Amino acid sequence: MKKDKRIFGKILMTLLIIFFYLPIVYMIVFSFNEGKSLTSFTGFSLRWYEHMLKSRDMMSALYTTFSVALLATLISTVAGTIAAIGLSKSKKIVRDIMEQVDNLPIMNPEIVTAIGFMLLFITFKVEKGYVTMLLAHIAFCIPYVILSVMPKVRSLDPNLADAALDLGATPLQALTKVIVPQIAPGILSGALIAFTMSVDDFIISYFVTGGGVKNLSIMVYTMSKRVNPSINAVSTLVVVIITIALLVINIIPSVLAKRQQSEKKRRPLWVPALCTACVLSGVIAFVILGTNKDSQQYPFYGQELYLYLPGEYINEEVVESFEEVTGATVIMENFDSNEQMYIKVANGESFDILIPSDYMIERLISEGYLQELDHSQLTCMDVLDPAVLHQGYDYDNTYSVPYFWGTVGIVYDKTKVSVEDLETQGYAVFLNQKYKGDIYLYDSERDAFMMALKNLGYSMNTESEEELKAAYEWLVTCVQTMEPEIVTDEIIDNMAQARKALGLVYSGDATYIVSENENVGFYLPEEGTNRWYDSMVIPQNAENVPLAYAFMNYISTYQHAYDNSAYVGYTSPNLQAKEDMYASGGDYEGIEAYIPRMGNSNDEIFHFNLDTKKIIGNLWSKVKIAASNAE
Amino acid sequence: MKKFSNLAIPYIAWAAMMLIFPMLLIAMYSFTEQGNSIVSFSFTLDHYKKFFTDPDFLIVLWRSLWIALKTTLICLLLGYPLAYFIAKSEEKVQNTLVLMVTIPMWINMLVRTYAWIGLLSPDGLFSMILGFWGLGEVDILYTEASVLIGMIYNFLPFMILQINTSLCKMDNSLLEASADLGGNQVQTFVRVILPLSVPGIINGITLVFLPAVSSFFIPKLLGGGQYFLIGNLIENQFITVGEWNFGSAISMIMAIIMMLLMMAVRNVELKNEGGKGKKVTNEEG
Amino acid sequence: MERKKIIEFRNITKSFDKQITLKGVNLDIYENEFVTLLGPSGCGKTTLLRILGGFLKADEGSVIFDGQEISDKPPYERELNTVFQKYALFPHLSVYENIAFGLKIKKLSKDVIDQKVMKMLKLISMEGFENKNITLLSGGQQQRVAIARALVNEPKVLLLDEPLAALDLKLRKEMQYELKRIQQEVGITFIFVTHDQEEALTMSDKIVVMNKGEIQQIGTPEEIYNEPANTYVANFIGESNILPGIMLDDYKVRFDDKVFECVDYGFKENEPVDVVIRPEDIDIVPVEQGKMTGEVLSVLFKGVHYEIIVETVPGTKVTVNMNVIRSLEETSADGTEKINANNFYVDVEDVGALDEKEIIARSNAMAWDTETDEYISIANIECEVLPEIGQYPVKFSTPKGTTVERIISVVNQPFVKNEKAGEGIMAFNFVKSVDEILESQTLDTDIKTWANAQGWKLSDENQSVDISVDYDFDPEKIKEGKVYKITFWTTGREFKIHTTDFTEVGKEVGLNFFPEDIHVMSRKAY
Repeated sequence: MKKDKRIFGKILMTLLIIFFYLPIVYMIVFSFNEGKSLTSFTGFSLRWYEHMLKSRDMMSALYTTFSVALLATLISTVAGTIAAIGLSKSKKIVRDIMEQVDNLPIMNPEIVTAIGFMLLFITFKVEKGYVTMLLAHIAFCIPYVILSVMPKVRSLDPNLADAALDLGATPLQALTKVIVPQIAPGILSGALIAFTMSVDDFIISYFVTGGGVKNLSIMVYTMSKRVNPSINAVSTLVVVIITIALLVINIIPSVLAKRQQSEKKRRPLWVPALCTACVLSGVIAFVILGTNKDSQQYPFYGQELYLYLPGEYINEEVVESFEEVTGATVIMENFDSNEQMYIKVANGESFDILIPSDYMIERLISEGYLQELDHSQLTCMDVLDPAVLHQGYDYDNTYSVPYFWGTVGIVYDKTKVSVEDLETQGYAVFLNQKYKGDIYLYDSERDAFMMALKNLGYSMNTESEEELKAAYEWLVTCVQTMEPEIVTDEIIDNMAQARKALGLVYSGDATYIVSENENVGFYLPEEGTNRWYDSMVIPQNAENVPLAYAFMNYISTYQHAYDNSAYVGYTSPNLQAKEDMYASGGDYEGIEAYIPRMGNSNDEIFHFNLDTKKIIGNLWSKVKIAASNAE
Repeated sequence: MKKFSNLAIPYIAWAAMMLIFPMLLIAMYSFTEQGNSIVSFSFTLDHYKKFFTDPDFLIVLWRSLWIALKTTLICLLLGYPLAYFIAKSEEKVQNTLVLMVTIPMWINMLVRTYAWIGLLSPDGLFSMILGFWGLGEVDILYTEASVLIGMIYNFLPFMILQINTSLCKMDNSLLEASADLGGNQVQTFVRVILPLSVPGIINGITLVFLPAVSSFFIPKLLGGGQYFLIGNLIENQFITVGEWNFGSAISMIMAIIMMLLMMAVRNVELKNEGGKGKKVTNEEG
Repeated sequence: MERKKIIEFRNITKSFDKQITLKGVNLDIYENEFVTLLGPSGCGKTTLLRILGGFLKADEGSVIFDGQEISDKPPYERELNTVFQKYALFPHLSVYENIAFGLKIKKLSKDVIDQKVMKMLKLISMEGFENKNITLLSGGQQQRVAIARALVNEPKVLLLDEPLAALDLKLRKEMQYELKRIQQEVGITFIFVTHDQEEALTMSDKIVVMNKGEIQQIGTPEEIYNEPANTYVANFIGESNILPGIMLDDYKVRFDDKVFECVDYGFKENEPVDVVIRPEDIDIVPVEQGKMTGEVLSVLFKGVHYEIIVETVPGTKVTVNMNVIRSLEETSADGTEKINANNFYVDVEDVGALDEKEIIARSNAMAWDTETDEYISIANIECEVLPEIGQYPVKFSTPKGTTVERIISVVNQPFVKNEKAGEGIMAFNFVKSVDEILESQTLDTDIKTWANAQGWKLSDENQSVDISVDYDFDPEKIKEGKVYKITFWTTGREFKIHTTDFTEVGKEVGLNFFPEDIHVMSRKAY
């Protein structure tokens, strides 16, 4: 009986360990994968590590994560310890109240705490970035430190401090020589908790960061849409760092204990001193590492360009070459959607260049957030494709320089979907029960509504609530009967592997997908589509306008436009680049999705209308909730 | 000693600023018309009305509570025997096992969750193993099952550690007393060990349920865009839709629900335990 | 009346981590006895109890309960119950539920449980407490509940593991009576573990004295007290005068250089023995009537009696000279620091043990800042002392190089040997300045250091003997250039006497006792 129990326990324990460590091992293994796949191991290589080391985004995320964690741990440990000692000597009522207050970040759902911090920083107009992240981390770490120090302080002999004072110690000496050594275990465990919490944090950091400052969590969150084995590499690095830290923490005390035995009576005061020294030198090393820069002379040497653009929307090599030429540093921040970008801009966050879509540019213009461009500074307008100029959202390109453009269409698995279905049904193929459970919808309110409206024969810029309502119902029918997966960029890699039969995607992504998998095709229904233009604009509060112009010109020149477009897959506004790409020998030779459709009268450009936007936004939220509830 | 109590003053000021004030801000936003200026404060209950009158939102809330409950229950059912196993191991083994359970918690949650994407995808290891057993390829990724796995994976250590602590703290003489009074192992477990580990169970439940309800990156990473929990709803309101006032209202609703739930759970604990009895006897001894 | 054996321990051994806790214990316990296992902590009494309770397994030997071998039975199948050291009451259960715990496990019907619990509550005088929270009870109440919880199962034997240790003195006394009463009322065997001899003497029918894993003596309280089997028991139970002696013949024992009649026999001729005389068995009589004489050293009032210490054999004395000289401190060239030290004597045999620390202590070397009066550490000591009689220079210097030179005299110091008391004592003459003597805050201790006074047992040189200091000068009034006498002495053989009659300190008295008060026991390592 007893033995059986242990066997059951051992099996369960083994399974648990496998469960806990399998993902970690899996991740480490695939960080050495030669191929891009996350599921099949094709050979050993270090390319993802190389990629990681080259990616400034990843390195700076690592730097941010650990420097914030170390600083937050240091500050919150000191502050928390002092506060705990102070509180333990305070009146009971003060102590009880503060106990409740400390419980706020511990017992509140983290997202609520996060939103609280965000609103706080916005209310006091503190620019979001590294400092706000650090402040927030300190704020939620201190309660944990207090929680672990307090019991130790309370269990101290209350006469200890008095005894020290009686023997002639000053209060400060009593604190450092008597109280702190006594409660050191509590302080240490508090510091450990604080460090873990800080390294682990995503939700709070996500809401309080800004200015392109990302920690590891945020980076993984924003990058997780696309298959990117570098994440595995960077994660492996984190595992290694943490493992070493853990080993040090677990081994040092035992080594010290042995040492103490051999040289008796030595007080272990240098243990905390050593730890502090380690932490401090770490911080300093990080700071030096973070600020170390080349010191050659360039036109924009030492200046910074804040670029706010969608994720995975630029060739980092082009950015690097721009930095090499100008000596400036480009700080990139990514957004998931135009709406997310708008909220940040409207809240006064400062960027030098934004790359929003047409309708959003319309909105930003109408609300006065953008600067008029000085065309004498722009050398790039002549090389641009006439097709991208003089569009409704900014007819004279007073505010914007096109960056990429394209359409929205259907990618389909040629082996599963007949072209006939597409030609006869158009977007309604997404309602075809034949493909139930086998479709992707793109998580973008306007493109989803575009599909429904076009299929219903309405304009996608309709202001009629009835038509919108009809489109909403079309979409609800779709999510309730077709079991679609609503995705964003995950669709790219998944369709490249033809995981599902059908998906709604942007033409640029389709270009990449088709180039990866010849069994996948791209179809633009005759019912019409959204022809869109993503363009570079300079907001009113830009801090480095000359650099912004330099960047716009640089990225639009033939070679850089070509490289950028080849990397991302979206259609270049540079006419020559576009044509060479499609022509034989080009990167996307013969791929039709690369050349946006012109001349179909059903195709439209999205226009901004605040009321319909709101309606569509809310309706789309509800479609997603309906999809979620349909499960 | 007055001098030492002064040490608390800076922290009290800091806490008022960084901990209390943000909560007041959320409350204020939730009762304010659209817009985000403190100056133009106009009281309204519309946001709350909007939430409670729309069945869709209520379903999301309900589902969040439901999946958190499922997560908590599974964590409890898995975690208790594991914690018990660890607590009953030799001390050296015990320390190693506790470390084994703790280490994953040290590695960034996002990173660990991300690793599951590859494992769970249709041609991933998980599916391969199932296929090997003749169960056929199962596409678990982007379903509730994958969200559940992600949550259990992230939160199970909390449960195990909490219960393990309460089991290890248990005075061995109580178990001997039970055996002495005729209780065999099963009876001792049911009548003594289980009731005495209730505080640990409750701590574990708190630490699992709380983040599970409000989690939004696990459903987003493993549940796909169409899997909505209350956390996603709040994120959506703040990040995509931009309706901060409504988002604040949802946050308030969630915070209050959690507070009530936790209070209810704590009540159970108080009733069950009747004060901190063990401490009293220990102090006398 | 032939009583039935209920428990038999047969050759029980048990060790933890290679440390032997029980060395083959054999013990019989009879029905209806109140048996106490008495011994200091670590003697194995609790281990024995836990083996009986089934919480530990003996390495060897068997436990027979009611004629049945039970060594392999788990605790829950044994017909005995335990009251644990800290009671081990279940904090999650009420008083009633705690007491009913065992009955519920036996699945008795509810009304039977009710009845039994109520009966128990009455027995422990706690009616009306049934629904109380166990954690809110006082220590004494918890104690009673723990007893009731065990007794309600009607065990044949109740084990009590230091149950009164957690109570304060007054409550402990109360509970002693209470426990005895309960035992008499329920009429079962109680096995009680304690380290408190008084508790054991008041409550027990039978006491088992244990030490270092062995049983030293088994007997009634009277037997244990009056006829201790060995010096260990004599010392542990009550107070005793224990002296070395020699058994000359049956009924004839020699100690303190005198021959006494006694009632003991069966020893070898001239066997060295230990002689125990209880303090209350000695009477103080006029000198002429005493079997021994001595001087009253101290009289302490102890409430019901006086405790009188009489010295029958005087201690050992040695007198040395203290030469008081002028302070000869050296000042550094710039006048900022001063250094001083003394000459001192050292025995040839002790030269080997003379390290720097010792030299500084013996010479009382010190340096200080003239401005701040703060001490400066002695950085360097230069000397070469050989284990040969002679004088050797020693040089002390500060980090800044201020130096003072002194002499170490290596001598062959004779020592005073006291064969009768079996000890030796030795001290050296020494040299001090007035300032040093005035500055000393613990003069007696300092003088011992300065004179390097030491005392030891002749039988074992490493065993030191306490030394006291005597001098008849007033330290506040000593003068330079004078020599003062200092006497070091040890205490002699003392007898402790408990009597109700007061005697003055310093009086010569006679001591008297009867032959049956002399307990002779073979000298055995225990």
